[in-house]
Amino acid sequence: MTDHVVRAPVAGSVWKIEAASDDVVASEQTIIILESMKMEIPVRAGAGGTVSEILVGEGEIVEEGQSLARVKVSGG
Amino acid sequence: MSWRKQVEEIERKRARAQQLGGEDAVKRQHDKGRLTVRERIDALLDQGSFQEIGAGAGAAERDPSGALTGFTPANFVLGFGKIDGRPCIVGGEDFTSKGGSPNEAGLRKSIYTEELACQYRVPLVRLHEGGGGSVAGTGSRTVGNPVFTPPRFRSVARALATVPVASAALGPVAGMPAARLVASHFTVMTRETAQVMVAGPAVVERALNRTHRKEELGGAEMHTRNGVVDNLAEDEADALDQIRRFLSYLPQNIWEPAPVLPADDDPDRREEKLLSLVPESRRQGYDMRALIDLVVDRGTFFEMTAGYGRGQITGLARLNGQPVGVFANDCMVYAGAMTAAGSQKVRRFVSMCETFHLPVVALVDEPGFMIGLEAERAGTIRYGVEAALAVADCTVPWASVIVRKSFGVAALAHYGPGAFVLAWPSAEIGAVPAEGGVAVAFGREIAAADDPEARRVALEAAMASQQSSVPRAESFSVHELIDPRETRPALCRWVERVQPLLRALTRGERERPPV
Repeated sequence: MTDHVVRAPVAGSVWKIEAASDDVVASEQTIIILESMKMEIPVRAGAGGTVSEILVGEGEIVEEGQSLARVKVSGG
Repeated sequence: MSWRKQVEEIERKRARAQQLGGEDAVKRQHDKGRLTVRERIDALLDQGSFQEIGAGAGAAERDPSGALTGFTPANFVLGFGKIDGRPCIVGGEDFTSKGGSPNEAGLRKSIYTEELACQYRVPLVRLHEGGGGSVAGTGSRTVGNPVFTPPRFRSVARALATVPVASAALGPVAGMPAARLVASHFTVMTRETAQVMVAGPAVVERALNRTHRKEELGGAEMHTRNGVVDNLAEDEADALDQIRRFLSYLPQNIWEPAPVLPADDDPDRREEKLLSLVPESRRQGYDMRALIDLVVDRGTFFEMTAGYGRGQITGLARLNGQPVGVFANDCMVYAGAMTAAGSQKVRRFVSMCETFHLPVVALVDEPGFMIGLEAERAGTIRYGVEAALAVADCTVPWASVIVRKSFGVAALAHYGPGAFVLAWPSAEIGAVPAEGGVAVAFGREIAAADDPEARRVALEAAMASQQSSVPRAESFSVHELIDPRETRPALCRWVERVQPLLRALTRGERERPPV
């Protein structure tokens, strides 16, 4: 079991958080939506598993590459 | 009398040249997971097509009777070959001999590479691995080049201006080989085994008292994001595949047309998916690469420089068999805004299309230059305007399809002179996007309103409707407002219409369309 770190693909602000700790998520599932340059940027889990931690709050400003969440990868 | 003895010597030298740096050095090369330069050349070219130039060049050792006692081959391998039946020049350093740092004969052959490509007017492929010159020199007794030697980069520049140049970094590449690597229209490096740097760890430590591993100074992760190298390859086979693929779209030289292949895809194909690809909500993005794949000949899009200036997408593709340059925006990266990096990527890409007379298809979703403190610090406007100026100077045919946004000065970089302009119903065209424009022009009015938020929303909606492509098409401000499904048929017909212009360009007639 390894933790997958979900990172911000662009700088922006956290517009919506669509998953919570302990949620089971699929790799393609959007867990956070950023707002950047007036566009919604869906951020996908990137790995299937259980969300172990959401590291940001709605409205928070994030930098490109910043860790947004951790997903405990299932299986493997 | 027979020349048997001399012929035997020729054969011994040739056989020795095949052995490169010798059995042990070749084994060490293989143990590092890398091929030798001869194996690379064989893997790159059509089977059996390599015609070596200067196989017998090297340093001979002889006994007092003049008999050959030893031979060190030139550590740069050079020759003609064919890729998909089309001639090219290929050359590369032999890392198994002096780590690719040129010996005397190796240097002569290396320098000759670009000359040969220019003279025969064929594409040049360089397979780089080596550290360039050494203070130990080449072993020659003279020091320095003759003062009348042409500048080293003269032939490099001439090659870039006349024939396609594609290079791979397939091991540690520093100094002159690193400079030649990037003096290319297309560069690729292997993920694990290649490093590219101006100077390696020992030089850096001596000058800066900093210790870095070569992987850290010149790894693929960094160089595929800073524009030094266009594409990442998983391994050497992948790197050579990408070079073959790149060359498949390009003409042999600037005097010949790009290779039009018999089309195996219907030019009138209308993809239903295009009708709903762009979301109605202007806040929501879509996958531009999916759009490109639906429009161009199936499976022909070859993206270049994807990791650098990511808001702009550049690559080669075919439309009804005709090679074209594709330039698009990725709205999922800062809305597709033109950054300093994106601008430099576009300028370089467009200038390659111009050099080889590849028509450019722009799929426009440009919100403008990137804004904000970081963007200003990066000098965005300087690089952005250089990109716009390069496009304004183009003589190649352009077609621009406004998919969504087309705003500001940055939008100018998406329309070459005489561009054939199509707009989708989702297109929005203007000086500035509605939101920013309203914030500037109506700031006071919004602040004074009873319900500022409602006023802002109403003003933005009104402004957005004025920027719609519908009135623009009615005013003949674009050539045609089209059903997104008509994009491929329209572009394929355009490609047919521009053929006379493409022929004129290959003849060297560079008349610009009337302004």
